[in-house]
Amino acid sequence: MSLRFPAALVLSLVILFLIGPFLIIVAASFSAGDTLAFPPQGFSLKWIAKVFTVESFRQSFVTSMILAIGGTLVALALGVPAAYAMSRYRLPFAETVRTIVSAPVIVPGIIVGLALLRYVVVPMGMPITLALFLAHTALVLPYAVRVVSASLANLRSDIEEAAILLGSSRLGAFFDIVLPNIRGGILAAFILGFVTSFNQVPVSLFLSGPGVRTLPVDMLGYMEIVFDPSVAALSSLLAFLSMGIVLAAERFLGFSRYV
Amino acid sequence: MSDQSYLALDGLTLGYGDTVAVEKLDLTIGKGELVALLGPSGCGKTTTMRAIAGLLAPSAGTIRLDGADITRVAANRRQVGLVFQSYALFPHLTVFDNVGFGLRLKGLKGAALRDKVEAGLTSVGLAAYAGRKPPELSGGQQQRVALARSMVMEPKVLLLDEPLSNLDARLRLDMRTELQRVQAQTGVTMIFVTHDQAEALSLADRIVVMRGGRIEQIGTPEEIYNRPVSRFVADFVGFENIFSIRDGRLWLGDAAVPLSASLPAAAGLAFRPRTVALGAGPLSGVVRGVSFAGSTREYVLDTSFGTIRADADASLPVHPPGTTVAFDLPIGQAACLKAD
Amino acid sequence: MFQNRNEALLLALPAAVFAAVIFLVPVAILLSESFRSPAGWSLAPYWAFFSEPLNQTVFWRTLKLGLQVTAVSAVIGYAAAFAIVSLPAGSKGRMIGLVMLPLMISPVARTYAWIVILGRTGIVNQALHGLGLTDAPIRILFSETAIFIGLLQLFLPLMIISLISALENLPRDVVPAARVLGANWLQIFWKVVLPLTREGLVIGGTLVFTGSLTAYITPAILGGSKVLMLETLLYQRVTVANDFVSAGVIALILVVMSFATNLLLKRIATVRTRT
Repeated sequence: MSLRFPAALVLSLVILFLIGPFLIIVAASFSAGDTLAFPPQGFSLKWIAKVFTVESFRQSFVTSMILAIGGTLVALALGVPAAYAMSRYRLPFAETVRTIVSAPVIVPGIIVGLALLRYVVVPMGMPITLALFLAHTALVLPYAVRVVSASLANLRSDIEEAAILLGSSRLGAFFDIVLPNIRGGILAAFILGFVTSFNQVPVSLFLSGPGVRTLPVDMLGYMEIVFDPSVAALSSLLAFLSMGIVLAAERFLGFSRYV
Repeated sequence: MSDQSYLALDGLTLGYGDTVAVEKLDLTIGKGELVALLGPSGCGKTTTMRAIAGLLAPSAGTIRLDGADITRVAANRRQVGLVFQSYALFPHLTVFDNVGFGLRLKGLKGAALRDKVEAGLTSVGLAAYAGRKPPELSGGQQQRVALARSMVMEPKVLLLDEPLSNLDARLRLDMRTELQRVQAQTGVTMIFVTHDQAEALSLADRIVVMRGGRIEQIGTPEEIYNRPVSRFVADFVGFENIFSIRDGRLWLGDAAVPLSASLPAAAGLAFRPRTVALGAGPLSGVVRGVSFAGSTREYVLDTSFGTIRADADASLPVHPPGTTVAFDLPIGQAACLKAD
Repeated sequence: MFQNRNEALLLALPAAVFAAVIFLVPVAILLSESFRSPAGWSLAPYWAFFSEPLNQTVFWRTLKLGLQVTAVSAVIGYAAAFAIVSLPAGSKGRMIGLVMLPLMISPVARTYAWIVILGRTGIVNQALHGLGLTDAPIRILFSETAIFIGLLQLFLPLMIISLISALENLPRDVVPAARVLGANWLQIFWKVVLPLTREGLVIGGTLVFTGSLTAYITPAILGGSKVLMLETLLYQRVTVANDFVSAGVIALILVVMSFATNLLLKRIATVRTRT
């Protein structure tokens, strides 16, 4: 069945509205001109090249990568056992635990960042980097718990009992039987957490100091001062990076099953 | 230890929180016996099986196996095998690795492992499937893998949860023969749980009928089928006409049956539809419905004291709906029930 | 289902304690701070906050933009979701992929694009000038309109995706059945489709509305320092004036609005399942 004309028109306009701006950014990053404009003035790779020479971008890129990878790994280390407890045990106060670990998704990030700065970083002298790391971990935790829980719900729980009756320990059954079967879900949670953390701004706004900034916050600051296409170039590069990761994950894992 | 009480449950009480699923259950099972736990869902049969496996800790009572008290022994050291209703095969492992899983944990490797796994797979006719993954197998094949996986561990007791219920009619027959053969060859003690009386009757040496967390009756298939001792068991194995005896008379519910025969000293009598003698006798009823069932016709009769179900040989002439038929309830062929 | 409660707690507690210490406790302190005045606990900070005309403007603007974005995304969302679910399987998958694509791109990048489009020398102004409709560039950037467009583009995919899954769960043949019974398309939408997809609309609406209320990047880039929303106001109060009391007030307003929206809409969504 093909669409009737009005439906096709609506859909085209919606897609144009959603994707168009991104295409304009991509086009603008290949501009030869010195200011951000569309259509681009000529073609060059100079803005793409410039991205790699800006010292603060390089630094904040590394910071963001460490936060996204490290924070997501810690969130998984906390979230996988919690999800397991909630799906396989009669956990006391299960609803309370679920609410607590998923609360960071409801409370606006800027408040989390400010609260940490004011009541943890300043009075306790906690290093900004550590606070940033903990905040990103808390932010990713709800996603880790939710995606891994969904993956566990799809796995029959009697296979663990079967393993135990064949002589496995509880821990052995988890590592030999459960883990291999929820690997896809864990990887999906990792990618979702990574993208969420990497693109996150509000949590990190207040948690920056000299030389400590996440990449998106750094980009916001740069945009206020310089109006050249290098931020566009950087945006395009990041977009292609995250699209590449997600598409690869979709291709090899069927990522969208878990989200 | 005697062979008659190889597995002994003594005062076993099981429950989740405040709800008691099984109460003070006593049961002994002999070595090499094939026993069925039969009952409707919620009767406690599955809970009992899980307790024997060690997946559920009893709140009171003991379980003894082969002379040792295993009540507090962890599930992974009990030497009890369980074939799950869903088969519970490990989806990420090959058939070979599924069957070899427990053996590897025992420390077997190399040729010793391979020989045992192959022998196990050969015995269930699946040697050619060692390299496949479970999702590539049919339901019947998966169940055989699950059986082999348990049997290579040489368990003292093999538990089976509804072993035939997920199979179609032809495969049921195959699996029944298979289980009887495995039992004959290895002499393993087998306990299986089922809600299907036909399954229990055809497979078991002895049947334990359970109801509401208690044992209702224990007996051979013949005893259970022909001499149910309670209304519940009678109803469960297909006695569709069940009467109580009060004041020397026969009652269907609250209606007295106008039958002047001497009644046995029992609390009730139960008749299969097949034993109701249709065509002549002191009682009569109006045919409400009749349906053809191959070798018999099944009648539903409305009588002055209630509904009676009767089967008659299909070669006899039909009594059409609306006609009045005489019939008899031959007391000698009834099952005598004790008080509930 | 395993029975051991201690084992279960041992597994779940690290995550719960972490979230409580890193997240719940500091946020709770911050929120409680907003009730503090020199004289002790009081609502004075709230009176002070709302007696400031600028703050009132920002509050109502945030609420208004949130409602507008939610309403418009619901209308566009239904149209787009209808079109997408009636596509054949292959192109439906690709179209869903296209709708989800922006979600993977940094919101900074997505919002930044609107500067190129809406700026003084942007595409819109060039087009208007080229068509002879304007003499001088009109100002679209740093306005409520710009924020509205930015938020709509940011959150529309969430609405479309929610509605697609709701429409896909629509019982088969209810629309043809209503058609056969003589309903016109408007009646079918109001009486059949809307009640049956209410849950998806509520989920999408919650995501879009709370997302718009608590957006920071979009008003920061497209609203500038003049057209503020609650989050940008909070940031400004802290960085410019070190005013943590106002920050606490705004934080509480945001948290209360997010939670209230979640609760209220959850209520609405469950009404149908009960009746």
